[in-house]
Amino acid sequence: MAKLSWHEILGLITELQKRGFDVVGPSSEGGVVKLLPLEENTKLETNYVRTLNSPKDFLLPNKERLFRYKSTATVTSYGLKIRFPTVEGPCPITIVPEYSPPRGRIAFFGIHPCMVNSIRYLDKVMLSDPADPYYKARREGLFIAVLECDEGDEYCFCKSVGCEKVPNGYADLSIKKEGDGFVVTPRSPTGSSLLMEEGVEQIEETIPKMKEEYLFDAKDEKSIDLKDPANLLEDCTICSSCTVVCPTCYCSDIQDRFSLMDPSNVERIRTRMSCQRKSYSSIAGGVTFLRTKNERFKWRMKHKFPFSERMYGISGCVGCGNCIAFCPSRIDFRTFLGRRVA
Amino acid sequence: MMTMEYNPYLPRPASVNAVREESLETKTLRLSLINWRATFLPGQFVQLLLPGVGEAPFCITSSPSDPKHLELTIMRRGLVTTAAHYMRPGDAVGIRGPFGRPFPVESFKGKDLVIVATGIGIAALRSLILYTIENRNDFGDVTLLYGARFVEDLVYREELKSWAEKIKVIVTLSKPSEKWKGLKGRVTDHLDTIKLGENSLAVICGSPAVMVSVAKTLIEKGLEQKDVYLSMERHMKCGIGKCARCMIPGGFMVCKDGPVFSAGEINLEDVGE
Repeated sequence: MAKLSWHEILGLITELQKRGFDVVGPSSEGGVVKLLPLEENTKLETNYVRTLNSPKDFLLPNKERLFRYKSTATVTSYGLKIRFPTVEGPCPITIVPEYSPPRGRIAFFGIHPCMVNSIRYLDKVMLSDPADPYYKARREGLFIAVLECDEGDEYCFCKSVGCEKVPNGYADLSIKKEGDGFVVTPRSPTGSSLLMEEGVEQIEETIPKMKEEYLFDAKDEKSIDLKDPANLLEDCTICSSCTVVCPTCYCSDIQDRFSLMDPSNVERIRTRMSCQRKSYSSIAGGVTFLRTKNERFKWRMKHKFPFSERMYGISGCVGCGNCIAFCPSRIDFRTFLGRRVA
Repeated sequence: MMTMEYNPYLPRPASVNAVREESLETKTLRLSLINWRATFLPGQFVQLLLPGVGEAPFCITSSPSDPKHLELTIMRRGLVTTAAHYMRPGDAVGIRGPFGRPFPVESFKGKDLVIVATGIGIAALRSLILYTIENRNDFGDVTLLYGARFVEDLVYREELKSWAEKIKVIVTLSKPSEKWKGLKGRVTDHLDTIKLGENSLAVICGSPAVMVSVAKTLIEKGLEQKDVYLSMERHMKCGIGKCARCMIPGGFMVCKDGPVFSAGEINLEDVGE
């Protein structure tokens, strides 16, 4: 354990960068706090409750290129013409995917326990058999410095879903604000080598104070099915920002993209997909399974609670409250799923 | 390029060997795999990549006894399927997979099979039909009940005749022309003609609403829920359960936990349209 000043904290970040990490931390930009790569001009922010984006934007980036390949498409005056490459014909082209695995040296500096819990959830999803090779490569050697959270705002409810503590093995450093300085505790060998200390310490974690606490009744699918969200969703504009800011929403779409300037270079990319959009559940022939916004809202709730519980044994909601705080209509699902107890 | 452990996102090369026209809207592509073999069982699917167009999931319709070739029956519906209809022999494609949980064919042995297919749903079951015909002595009575709307919609028309020599084939049309001499009506109208015993198993594939109503009828007629198998359809994107696009009620991924489910595993009320 060490008591460090503000400058020494910044020194830790520089030391991490010297060791080859891309350090990502909360920083104010345009009136909101975001997780951003910490560089010379980006100032670390330690007085914040929530960040607009979350670790998923770095571990599972949007529009990630999976591989590239060559096609024989050409642009003609009447549009795009795709001539399929012929294997034993005049142009012997087969699809050769060009691919390089991502470099995994990310350090999250100063994220709250709820976000660390979201990394655990993404791990459960992406590393379960078969592991996602892109996520795995990014995840390897991940460094996490947790900034302990004292008090949540009116949208926080991490205690209600059991995500107020950092899961075992998910922190290298614990940072706690104390007066003008910070108390930094090493929680892993990497963390102690950074502090130039010996050994790993167990600490009593700060349990954040919550303004509101809830009791959720969402363990099984039926209980969600029986409820009617029509009143709650009256103001929903289907902007799907709830799924964009959610740290555990990982649903994605896989697309082949190319520029019309050079259609022969095709990129296979993975982009974000939101279950709040109709195309999420459309299949060939025009069948859509989740047709109304009420059904799609219930689907999000089901994926977060009963489905995640069944598949991975943990809650898919980490209680960060981002989906409520960044919703233009402030749609609050908490009273829909349960009741307020404190 | 770095060699890494198995990356399920990378396609493997294949080329179109032959194209068969099955009906107005449907073609079967026969693909030769270039320097690799596909080990699969009936019920599994692959992701077909058409260079410059995109990727879509298709059930393998050929028999698992030929690991060097794959056949995919494709109905013209969207971007990829339309492009697939323009493929000619020799064209290069990419294949990811096979993915998914197949029919538990080992546990099917010695049983009487009732195979119910409607529309293009028969494509997902052709592999199983070919498998039962090739291993005819391992199975009891095998009945195929195949329903379509118009006579033009019927696929595998020539093959149906040769299958009828080995298994019982019932074809019914719900909107037949006047020339049609065969059975009329929906598949649910003809379920009564099939004898169900204690040793019977049912396999269903078709549109979601039909699958559910057929499964319910068969369960009412005395089949156990675990003996009714459905081949579900969703637009699978990744194939390995990471994109959650193919999730069905109950929290199952069609690509990883399916596409084959027994009626006991899923809630029939929820999976229909």
